[in-house]
Amino acid sequence: MKPRSKISGTLLALGWAVAVAVAPGCGRPTGTKTAEAGAAPAQRLTIGVSLMNLSNEFIVMLHQAMLARAGELGVALIVTDAQRSAERQVQQVESFIAQRVDAIILNPCEVEASAPAVEKALAAGIPIVNVNSETRTPPTAFIGSRDEESARLAMEYIVQRLGGRGNIVMMHGFMGQAAQIKRDRGAREVLARHPDIKLLADQTAEWDRAKAMSLMENWIQAYGEKLEAVFAHNDEMGMGAVIALEQARLKSKVIVASVDAIADALQAVQDGRLDATVFQDAKGQGGGAVEAAVRLARQETCAKEVFIPFQLVTRTNAGQFLQTVSRP
Amino acid sequence: MHPRNIRPWLARYGLLLALVGISLALSLAKPGFLTVSNLINVIRQISINGILAVGVTYVLLTGGVDLSLGSLVALSGVAAACWAHPGEYPVVVPVLIGVLAGALCGAANGAVITWGRVAPFIVTLGMMTVARGLALVISGGRPVSNLSRAFTTLGSADLLGIPVPALILAAVALASHLCLRHLRVGRYVYAVGGNEFAARASGINVVGVKLFAYTVCGACAGLAGVVLASRITTGQPNAGLAYELDAIAAVVIGGTSLSGGVGGVGGTLLGALLMGVINNGLDLLNVSSYYQQIVKGLIIVGAVWLDKRSTK
Repeated sequence: MKPRSKISGTLLALGWAVAVAVAPGCGRPTGTKTAEAGAAPAQRLTIGVSLMNLSNEFIVMLHQAMLARAGELGVALIVTDAQRSAERQVQQVESFIAQRVDAIILNPCEVEASAPAVEKALAAGIPIVNVNSETRTPPTAFIGSRDEESARLAMEYIVQRLGGRGNIVMMHGFMGQAAQIKRDRGAREVLARHPDIKLLADQTAEWDRAKAMSLMENWIQAYGEKLEAVFAHNDEMGMGAVIALEQARLKSKVIVASVDAIADALQAVQDGRLDATVFQDAKGQGGGAVEAAVRLARQETCAKEVFIPFQLVTRTNAGQFLQTVSRP
Repeated sequence: MHPRNIRPWLARYGLLLALVGISLALSLAKPGFLTVSNLINVIRQISINGILAVGVTYVLLTGGVDLSLGSLVALSGVAAACWAHPGEYPVVVPVLIGVLAGALCGAANGAVITWGRVAPFIVTLGMMTVARGLALVISGGRPVSNLSRAFTTLGSADLLGIPVPALILAAVALASHLCLRHLRVGRYVYAVGGNEFAARASGINVVGVKLFAYTVCGACAGLAGVVLASRITTGQPNAGLAYELDAIAAVVIGGTSLSGGVGGVGGTLLGALLMGVINNGLDLLNVSSYYQQIVKGLIIVGAVWLDKRSTK
C-alpha cells in the first residue's frame, strides 16, 4: 500500500472533528464551570463540590440541579469529578480546604474510603454536606434517600402485580457497591415477607444495559415460560431486560421493574414497555444540598439529616415525572 | 493414531476440542444448553466481542496492542446514535458515521505509533481516555436515545433465522480471513509482526502496514459500536467498559501470539465462541456472580496454557 502523508493524516483528524461538531442536537455542554448569576454580592460564597462520577446519568442530573440552585442563590460552585475513585475524591476535598472554600458538598464514592474527606473538612472547620450517599464519618449535614426503600417499592409493586405468588429473577448492580448492597437488602426484605414468591436466579449485570440484555437472553433460555417478573437494580438493566423480552415476544407475560427513573425509563413506562420504575429526586437532592451548604456557610441553622422519599412511577403517573426530567 | 502424530493434531484442533468438551459438559449439566434457540442466542451474544476481536487480530499480528477498543465502541455508538433519530437520515448515514469515527481514531492511533514512534500501549491507552471523553462530550453524559426503527432492527432482526449481528460478524471475519491470507497487505501484516527489521529490509512499507492494521481495527470497533447501540437501542457514553480485554483474550485464546506474526481470524472466532459459551453456560447454570468471575478467569488461562503445551 502507498505511504500516506502527514497532511492526509491531519485532514482525517480534522474531518472527524467536523463530523462530531456538526452532529445534530448532540453538542450539549456538561457545564462543569462556576455558576454565574445576578450581580455579585459583596462577599460571594464559594462552594466546592466533589461528585462521584459525571458519566452516570443520575449524577449528571444531580449536577444540573446544583448548578441551577446555585445560580438562583448567587453562589459560585467549583465542581470536580472523582470518576468513581475515593482516593481522588479525598484529594479534591484537600484542595478545597487549601482554597479555603466556604462549604463543601460531597457526593461520596464509597462509605469507608471517602470518609477521610469528611474528617479533613471537619478538622479544617469547613462545613461539609453529603449528598445522595453516606460516609462512615457523619458530615455536618446529609441530604439523600434510603436506597433500601427504592428496592422495597419496586419489589412490593411486583408482589402486588403477581398477587403474592410467582417466579422472579433479580439483576444486581456492580457487586459490592453501596447501592447494590442496599437495593439487594431492600428487595430481600420484601421476599422474606412473601414466601410464595420464588427467586429463580440472581446475577450481576454491572449496571450495564448490554450485559443485562445478554443475561436476560440467557435466563429466557434457562427458564422460558416460567419467568413472571424481573427486578433490576437500575433502569439501564431494566431496559436491557425489556428489550430482550420484547425480542423473545415474552414481554406481555413478564413484569419488569427497576430503579432511578432516568428519562429513557420514564418514556418506556409511559409507552407501557417497562412496568414500573422508582423516582429518585435529583432536583430535590442537588438543590437541597446547595441550600444546606449555603445555610451552613452563613452559620444559619440547618437540618442534620434530610431524607427525600422515593416515589413509584407506573403508567398512571409517568407523565408528570417525564416533565420534571429535562429531556434533551 | 501414533503418539508422535498427536501433537500437531492437538495444536491444530486443541481449541476446537476444548470447545466441544465444554459444550458437552454443559449440555449434560443443563439440557437447555444444546438447543437451536440457545445456540442462536450464543452466536448473537458473541457478535460484538467477535467483531472487536477480529479487528484487534490485525493489530496483535503486527505485534502491537489496542487498548482503546471499549472507548471507541462508546464513541462510535454515541456518534451513530446522534444521526439515527427517526425521520432524519437514511440508516446508512449513522452506520457510516459510526464506522468512520472508529476508523479515524484507529488511524490516529496508527499515526502516532508509527510517525511519533510512541509505544502502542501508551498511545492506545491515551486514546482510550480521549475517546471516552469525546463520547461524554458529544452525549452530554447522558444516553442518546429515541433511535429510528430502521437503525435498531440492525441489532435485533433475524435473516433466515440467523441474527443480523452474527451475519455482520461472519462477513467481517470472512473478509478479514481473505485479506490476511490472500492479499499482499495481509501477508505484510504477518511479516511485520514476525520480524519488523526483516520486513523493512525486504522493502515492505512498515509504516503503511501498521497504519492499515490500526485503521481496520478502529473501523471494526466503530462497527461493533454501531451494532451495540442498535442492539441496546441507545448510544451509551458508558458502554464498552473493558471490552478491549475480552476482545484481546478471545484473540489470544484463538492462538494468535501477543508478540505478533502468528495466528489468524479462524482461531479468533473460536476464542470468541469459547468465551461466549462459558458466559452463557454459567448463566444457565445460575452460578453465583462471584464464582463466575473466578471460573471465567481460570478457563481463559487454562485454554491458553493447554494451547501452549500442545504447540511446543
